[in-house]
Amino acid sequence: MQSEPYVKNYLSEHYGSDAYRTLEGYADAGGFAGIKKALSLPPDEVTELVKASGLRGRGGAGFATGLKWSFMPKTAERMKVIVANGDESEPGSFKDRMIMERGPFQVLEGILIGAWAMGAKRSFLYVRGEYGESIRALQAAVEELRAKKYLGKACFGKKGFEHDIIVHCGAGAYICGEETGLLESLEGKKGQPRKKPPFPAQHGAFGLPTTVNNVETFAHVPFILERGVEWFRQRGTEKSPGTTLFGVSGHVERPGLFELPLGTPLREVLGMAGGVRGGRRLKGVMPGGLSMPILPPSELDVGLAEELLVPKGTHLGTGGVMVMDETTCMVRVACVTSYFFRDESCGQCTQCREGTGWVHKLCERIERGRGTAEDLALLDDVPSLMEGQTICAFADAAAWPIQGLLKHFRADFQAHIDEKKCPFSESFEL
Amino acid sequence: MPKLTIDGREFQVAEGRTILQAIDDLGLLMAGVDIPHYCWHPKLSIDGSCRLCQVEVEGMPKLQIACNTPVTDGMKVHTANERVAKARRGVMELLLINHPLDCPICDQAGECKLQDYAFDYGVAGARTKEPRRPAKKSVELGPTIVFDQERCILCRRCVRFCQEVPKTGELGVFGRGDESLLETFPGKPLDNPYSMNVADICPVGALTTRDFRFKIRVWFLDDVESICNQCARGCNISASRSNNKIYRFVPRRNDAVNETWMCDHGRMSYKLNGQGRLAHARVDGKPSSAYAAAQRAGELARQIRAAGGRIVGVASPFASNEELEAFRDFLAELGAGPARFAVPRGESDEILVEAEKAPNANGCRALGMTETNDSLGHADLAFVLGHTTHAAAFADVRRVVLIDSHESALSARADVVIPARTFLEKLGHFTNGDGIVQRFDPVVEPAFEALSEREALDEIRKSAVSAAAREPG
Repeated sequence: MQSEPYVKNYLSEHYGSDAYRTLEGYADAGGFAGIKKALSLPPDEVTELVKASGLRGRGGAGFATGLKWSFMPKTAERMKVIVANGDESEPGSFKDRMIMERGPFQVLEGILIGAWAMGAKRSFLYVRGEYGESIRALQAAVEELRAKKYLGKACFGKKGFEHDIIVHCGAGAYICGEETGLLESLEGKKGQPRKKPPFPAQHGAFGLPTTVNNVETFAHVPFILERGVEWFRQRGTEKSPGTTLFGVSGHVERPGLFELPLGTPLREVLGMAGGVRGGRRLKGVMPGGLSMPILPPSELDVGLAEELLVPKGTHLGTGGVMVMDETTCMVRVACVTSYFFRDESCGQCTQCREGTGWVHKLCERIERGRGTAEDLALLDDVPSLMEGQTICAFADAAAWPIQGLLKHFRADFQAHIDEKKCPFSESFEL
Repeated sequence: MPKLTIDGREFQVAEGRTILQAIDDLGLLMAGVDIPHYCWHPKLSIDGSCRLCQVEVEGMPKLQIACNTPVTDGMKVHTANERVAKARRGVMELLLINHPLDCPICDQAGECKLQDYAFDYGVAGARTKEPRRPAKKSVELGPTIVFDQERCILCRRCVRFCQEVPKTGELGVFGRGDESLLETFPGKPLDNPYSMNVADICPVGALTTRDFRFKIRVWFLDDVESICNQCARGCNISASRSNNKIYRFVPRRNDAVNETWMCDHGRMSYKLNGQGRLAHARVDGKPSSAYAAAQRAGELARQIRAAGGRIVGVASPFASNEELEAFRDFLAELGAGPARFAVPRGESDEILVEAEKAPNANGCRALGMTETNDSLGHADLAFVLGHTTHAAAFADVRRVVLIDSHESALSARADVVIPARTFLEKLGHFTNGDGIVQRFDPVVEPAFEALSEREALDEIRKSAVSAAAREPG
């Protein structure tokens, strides 16, 4: 793992420094200015600032963070809870890992600002179980905050600002990155998303009013408080301000993380990653992790921001840019993708449980050269039975990439059926 | 009260209800307003997973599940347009791709929601040629329930039932995605006093009761409305009969009494109707016709009354209100005192089972009868309905006339025994523990000559009175 992104900006400026992972080093680099600013303001004003900044959630859905915070009940009848989502389970996404490992105090400071703004007494930081180093870094950071009394009955010496943060280790399921699947898992139950209503702001973790934000979302918050809304909005686009850590993977010369303003054209991001490896031709790019529809090479000039990608039929997702060159069999991609979603579907909703399996069987049959024109027609239709009809967005995430692959690379599918074999390679194991 | 419009029809519904709940409250669900559903059950928590009840709600871009969408005032819902129909077809198709389609050998056929909705909303042909999910056949989940895992559509009604009603939680869904399977937890069989309800709420043929499984095709059964007589709850039941034989009891919904449940003990009590029956009238231990026995009883009454002897009446909390009233009048006519009765008692629970193990103790009380287990003391003649009073209480009673359906210690010593109909063989009413009067209808005919208590009493009275009229002086 890199210790810092290839291209840095405000978030990752100090990621190369090991000292930044300690409370002292973080403070020396200007840390805690955001929470101190926040504590000088009434809580509602902090939420208003975050609203005004236009910060959008970095977990995949891109929901307005300040608006989400404002959904929390204003009264203190029931304890309010914050959950930071560090489950990062989207294939192609590896940004949260670096943020948690290299900038743990950014996340914790962001959580504390949120805690002040929303009046939350407890936070749970749900970290992907495989991320041992993230868990260690965050746990050590939480202990330093406690020792320094930045956490406790009166955080930062502020009377009445009581807060504690609990680092919780996930156990390895994609669906536990979905906010209510995460809440179930946090409560010790099987990780299955909850039906809505009720929404987490009314009935979240342990039945308490809860706000769930991605860890990167929290990491941006201290900068907004410290440097101001104007400063934040100078980066990124009008509708998607700020930077994000784009994770570029696949067939590029230099895969890795790049902190760039939202809206940066895909072509530029690819250039920074050294272009397609070995001088080969580009075949397609999934711009936002495995669950987002693929883009063909003709769309390289699109800016990587949600509002710019939607007209192209895809989404920013988690900003995990997956690059595929001309040697890639798109049926294989469909096969592997559908295998993943079949394996990870929680199994509650009919369409998702049954549809993911069916789609995978169709993809695998076509890839192995046994597919027929009817199979292809079914593959056109079955994903449409799944999308938009389930408790959570998982079924969409399973349907969209298949629809995208069929839309842009239908010739690959047809070739498998016509030639009765995969034109790209002999055999493969899942 | 919010106004809800469904397919152009307006309804006033209660506050704070979801669309399905509101329609169910009005008694119109699948009875005027058809919103098909699997996972939703009126008496269980909302699951929202089967996705069959999707409807279009004006102002909401996506289809919404009717089970979990709260009604707001002025909400307009469409249940029958092409968009909704397409979603339903999709759900039905996906539910069936892993279903064995073994209706010809499935016990649920004929009362299967998968069949019903496939007929209404499914497609005739299958587009899938994939092999079905491997799953187990005929798994004995516990002493009462057999599970055909391959038929399960994972609606989790049974899981929620075990968690929420008996609170025993024996069932869970294990695995993920299309490898999800319903199972019991290791080493914990499905064994609770309400276990057989899971077979009722299973919308498909996955959960069946060991007792009813493979006994008869359900389309040969008629359901007759009746009341369980095993305790003072008076659970509403349907007694299923064919060829004058009862095959099962299943609970019938009554929100004021048993919601949609009944206990396993009550459910299995249908077997009692055929066991240990008092099939022949007897006079002094010798077989007789029922009418001759009634005449003999009348004669005894006349003689003992003429001799100034003491006549007592012992009623039964298993008798109907009609019979109890007739018995009261009968005793009054004979100059006997008010009847007494005894109630068998046992364990109760917080769900349905009451400590009073009889259906109509409140009916006895309402007629001024006295509950006691004491000895009857000295009497010359006792008229007895049923055998709930301990036989020892009759130690000092000279003559006993018993009208009863089942053999007992008392029937062995009674001088006159008249076979009676059980509650499944006649019409009547019970008053349950909460004072609710409930009707039961005749389900089967006894296979031998039996009288209802009322008929028997009438015969006895006629004999006693007409004989008395012939008595000189």
